[in-house]
Amino acid sequence: MIYLDNAATSFPKPKRVYDRMNQFLREEAANPGRSGHRLSVAAEAQIVQARSVLAKFFGAPEPERIIFTLNCTDSLNIAIKGVLRDGDHAITTVLEHNSVLRPLNALEIAKRITVTKIRPNAEGFIDPKDIKKAFRKNTKLIAMTHASNVVGAVQPILEIGRCVREAGLLLLVDAAQTAGVVPIDVERDFIDLLAFPGHKSLYGPTGTCGLYVSHRAKLIPWREGGTGFDSESQTQPEVFPFLLEGGTPNSVGIVGLREGVEFIVQEGISKIQTHERRLVKALREGLLGVSGLKLYGTEDVARSAAPVSFVVEGIEPQELSLVLDQSFQIASRAGLHCAPLMHEALGTFPQGSVRLSPGYFNTLDEIEQAVRAVRQIQSQMAVS
Amino acid sequence: MDISRYHRQYLFNKIGEAGQRKLVESRITIIGCGALGTILVNTLARAGVGFIRIVDRDFIELNNLQRQVLFDENDIKENLPKAIAADRKIKQINSSIQIESIVSDVNYTNIERWVQDVDLVLDGTDNFETRFLINDACVKAKKPWIYGAVIGSHGLTMTIIPNETPCLRCVFESAPPPELTPTCDTAGIIATASAVIASLEATEAIKLLTGNAKEINRSLYSYDVWTRETKSFKLEGLREATDCPTCKRQAFQFLTGDSAPKTTTLCGRNAVQITRPDRIKLDFKELAGRFEKTGEVKFNPFMFQAKIDGYEFSIFPDGRAIIKGTNDPAQAKTIYSKYIGV
Repeated sequence: MIYLDNAATSFPKPKRVYDRMNQFLREEAANPGRSGHRLSVAAEAQIVQARSVLAKFFGAPEPERIIFTLNCTDSLNIAIKGVLRDGDHAITTVLEHNSVLRPLNALEIAKRITVTKIRPNAEGFIDPKDIKKAFRKNTKLIAMTHASNVVGAVQPILEIGRCVREAGLLLLVDAAQTAGVVPIDVERDFIDLLAFPGHKSLYGPTGTCGLYVSHRAKLIPWREGGTGFDSESQTQPEVFPFLLEGGTPNSVGIVGLREGVEFIVQEGISKIQTHERRLVKALREGLLGVSGLKLYGTEDVARSAAPVSFVVEGIEPQELSLVLDQSFQIASRAGLHCAPLMHEALGTFPQGSVRLSPGYFNTLDEIEQAVRAVRQIQSQMAVS
Repeated sequence: MDISRYHRQYLFNKIGEAGQRKLVESRITIIGCGALGTILVNTLARAGVGFIRIVDRDFIELNNLQRQVLFDENDIKENLPKAIAADRKIKQINSSIQIESIVSDVNYTNIERWVQDVDLVLDGTDNFETRFLINDACVKAKKPWIYGAVIGSHGLTMTIIPNETPCLRCVFESAPPPELTPTCDTAGIIATASAVIASLEATEAIKLLTGNAKEINRSLYSYDVWTRETKSFKLEGLREATDCPTCKRQAFQFLTGDSAPKTTTLCGRNAVQITRPDRIKLDFKELAGRFEKTGEVKFNPFMFQAKIDGYEFSIFPDGRAIIKGTNDPAQAKTIYSKYIGV
């Protein structure tokens, strides 16, 4: 099997992730910080260390401002529903995943907020000037993806962050496609809220995700409960991370996530990025040579993350994807990728596109096999 | 309780008044309410079985009326599910019995619920997957069940008493591959064939429920209404001779969900993808032969496409399929088992 669905979740994971989770679950997995016995204390220490590793990784000065969440959707919901108040205006983009669009749409339909959606250019980039032009008196939040999960275009977050900060607004970045492969520094990039999945390019297991919350963002928690701390208080403690972390954390997953991040640090993020860019470049160049194939996104691989989307004339994306799996043992993903507005913008709604998303563990040879497979499918199927 | 309405039935000496009273106190589940199921419900409700549960996920279509005796054109106008239409008819036929009708897909998550509180289960289904589910659930719950299957002019039936007779998997270890499994929707069916097989099933049910279990048919019985060819496969000793995963090893693989087909609704496409649990290798040429009579067909080495009854099928060599024209997974499964077979 050639796995080219890393934009959905990375697979496989580095060996140290499996090993550490196995060891932790067998020998150390007491409920972190809930009890005074040594196992509980040690498990809590593991979570604190993981928090610290992630804070350092994203340039967050205070580790307790990294919150562990259920998944990236949970992070985005905590952020969006936590900061927006009745009467606020939010800005987002057409690139977004439903995990950003749906919470905003629901608030807008309930007439609690208003939302402006910015369109990208043909390559999938948002112009920071368009964001700035959309600012209103009551604008509070700019919620946007760091890179399109459909076409991979990496957005000019630094420029956008700067103008959002200058205007005194909040920037929420969905780093689902970039965390672990595109360097992110929340201070440098003026990011107030950073939602990141643990199970994609950070190589953790599914069910591990996080949210960075700066002091500038005042969040109301929507999930309240036990924290193993300040139990006498009738309401959720105001202290981070407990304010936003009610309930027993996914300790087994979090120690795995930490190993994934340590793996990245050890390899070097630039080495990972360079390898992924090389794969994306080879994939894009190869696909361009297939007749009847329309490729989306940008030619500038330096501004592109792993997702590569295309359609082949005369073949439904879902069918092409199934044939890739069935006859060539290549895992891809077809359809709307939970980003319906982006497909509308590309003109690929509702059939969507085929998405191939290489990861660090793919090889150039695998990319060549994938290109050959697409070519062969095109030649045999598109005409029939 | 007044049982006089069943007088002509208990006058038959094998049943008698005592047998009739047993029947009135009996509880059964009929899975599938189509060609076989409607005759089973009709016959057994009239016979006075005290509680009948009907489970079926489908709605009535015009091409069902040729053989599915309880339904009429009005039910189609009202767009009724089969279970509901059957319920209404039975209440007019025999108001003294209790009917429970359930509009639902039968799968590993719910089958046990419908088997555990009855004395007998009857097969009115049209596919192997559900029959293996019934077999697992009945053997596990130690409930007798009666298998019945019909295609064209030919049918099969067999009575299964767990721990006593061979079970369905002693006879058929796995489902035959789809290209060798014609379905009513590809090979046709004549109503007299389903009437005969359902009548034989219902007779077995009456034997079991009136205290005549000793007289059940212990063979796999095959009958063709067209050629009048009869075969009776003796099953004695089979249970002892095989290492049946269900009744010997008590593994009940169909109840775990591992053997269930997986469905995925494709966003925005009004289409459902179906993935079979087993790895098969379809022969597209043979499949084309089956589909050509009913619809428009084309294929290449990677994919087989057919348009039938407003649905578009894209079928892949391992049996996976995308069915366009519905976004309801249960309906897609129905269509898949109708035309491709499981």
